[in-house]
Amino acid sequence: MPTEPLVCIIDDDEAIRESLRLLLYAGDLTSCYFESADAFLEAGEIPPIDCMLLDIRMPGTDGLELFRILQARQLGFPVIFITGHGDIPLAVEAIKQGAYDFLTKPFGEGEIIGKVRAAIEDYRAGQQELAELQELRERVASCTPREREVMDLLARGLPNKGVADALGISPRTVEIHRANLMQKMAADSLPSLVRMVTLLESRSATQGPFGNSG
Amino acid sequence: MNQDRTAHENTFDALMEAAVDAIVLIDRNGTIERFSAAAEAMFGYEEGEVLGKNVKMLMPQPHRGRHDGYIRTYRETGRAGIIGHGREETALRKNGETFPILLTVGVFRQPDGRKFVGFIRDLSAARAAESRVRQLEARLANSDRMVALGELTAGIAHEINQPLTAISAYADAARAMMERDRKPSVDEMHFICQRIAEQSMRAAEVVRRMRKLVRGGSLVKGRHEINEIVRNVLLLFEHEVKNTNFTLEFKPATGLPQVYVDDIQIQQVLVNLVRNSLDALNEADCSEGQIVISARKEDSCLKISVADNGPGISEENREHLFDAFFTTRPQGVGLGLSICRRIATAHGGGLKYEPRPGGGSRFTLGLPLESIG
Repeated sequence: MPTEPLVCIIDDDEAIRESLRLLLYAGDLTSCYFESADAFLEAGEIPPIDCMLLDIRMPGTDGLELFRILQARQLGFPVIFITGHGDIPLAVEAIKQGAYDFLTKPFGEGEIIGKVRAAIEDYRAGQQELAELQELRERVASCTPREREVMDLLARGLPNKGVADALGISPRTVEIHRANLMQKMAADSLPSLVRMVTLLESRSATQGPFGNSG
Repeated sequence: MNQDRTAHENTFDALMEAAVDAIVLIDRNGTIERFSAAAEAMFGYEEGEVLGKNVKMLMPQPHRGRHDGYIRTYRETGRAGIIGHGREETALRKNGETFPILLTVGVFRQPDGRKFVGFIRDLSAARAAESRVRQLEARLANSDRMVALGELTAGIAHEINQPLTAISAYADAARAMMERDRKPSVDEMHFICQRIAEQSMRAAEVVRRMRKLVRGGSLVKGRHEINEIVRNVLLLFEHEVKNTNFTLEFKPATGLPQVYVDDIQIQQVLVNLVRNSLDALNEADCSEGQIVISARKEDSCLKISVADNGPGISEENREHLFDAFFTTRPQGVGLGLSICRRIATAHGGGLKYEPRPGGGSRFTLGLPLESIG
């Protein structure tokens, strides 16, 4: 992992804040904390957070409200709600809205560390995939429109001859385009190029795999 | 003249036929002379079945017995409470069913003497609606109380859950720290233990405050007649008991000294006890349930008993009867009797349970008499 993960605790109860911090510390996790959602919102610059432990019931802006604000700001880190027994319907609502998980007070042995670690792993894996996708999109952007066409047809399994016929160009020209685009995409083989195109297609439901190419 | 009479009679017959309220004409002895169509529908008798009979047949006991008295009083003194304005009464249908009515009586003279005309409106439907509203109100009041209690317990649960959560998290952290390669220092462990102790005290403090809350404010004592207190309790249950097959009876004793008590709290105890009895009778589906409240002086104590002929309380449940949060009912909170006993104790008295001879329960509230002054 590139940097130390950071867990953010927001709870109005000092003892719960402190015991959680200690628990995370025992699990080799660094944490920061705020005594209210409002304090968090007013804090300004905050280092990138990998997971948030958020009390659902707090004076002022409550946990659910803060969660909506975080979503509106497209801060994608996982949020684990801390709830009492009576708040379970609230917590379920939070899950429906996209919260990562919820934990009921008091927590089971090892429960916090387990859930937080899983959340961070998922988040980091997602982040890594996002970064890879971004990189791939940049590589695609460096290709010419003709190279993208050739790439598309190759990824569909057409041989050089087939691509040449489809585009009405000579097989020799296809070969030159193919060599160039393999280099630009940093693909060492045809199978690895196909994997890249498939990944891009699967993550671009609304767009074509090559953005607004065409 | 004759024609006029006939016209009058026709109009009268039409009236007897069409009037929505029942009309019953009686002579000075109470003998029925006319019985309108609405009266036939209301009471279930044909006019032919009732003509010449005494109007008492339309009344259930004990009204039936009093009616002769009413008529006699009117004949002798010309006084009648009912003439000219309406009164709510109970009437008796042919099938034996009794029902509430609004009765208005007018008096008029005929050549053969003074007659009475009764206009009767059936109040069954109105009463049923009223009763439903009252039951609903009672249920609402009850659910209000349950909601209030529910909120209270939810609040207390949260207050206690917070320190418990912290305690378990501190302990979990300590365990995790000791499992690591780098062992925690004595100082670190000391710190955690101290925090755990603090949070335990915090939880204990919540419990202490809650106890104080339940124990409630101080007593507002005054001199009171126990008979008066019991009568107030009876009033509260009057309506409810009326709609059951049960009876709620008070056997007051005469010459009882006044007691020096918080009357509202003593009332609360008795209401609780009667409520429990009613619930027990209801649950056991007793067809002839009886609840008897009695008061007597015994030594230097005033004893008030609430007894019922319900199923009574099983021997195993008896020993926990007055424990807080002990209940045998699915909806029960289990605080009623424990609060009752606390009130009794706060008055220097006590609350005891004993099986009623012949089956059922008997709770006896004892109040000291020397505490007057």
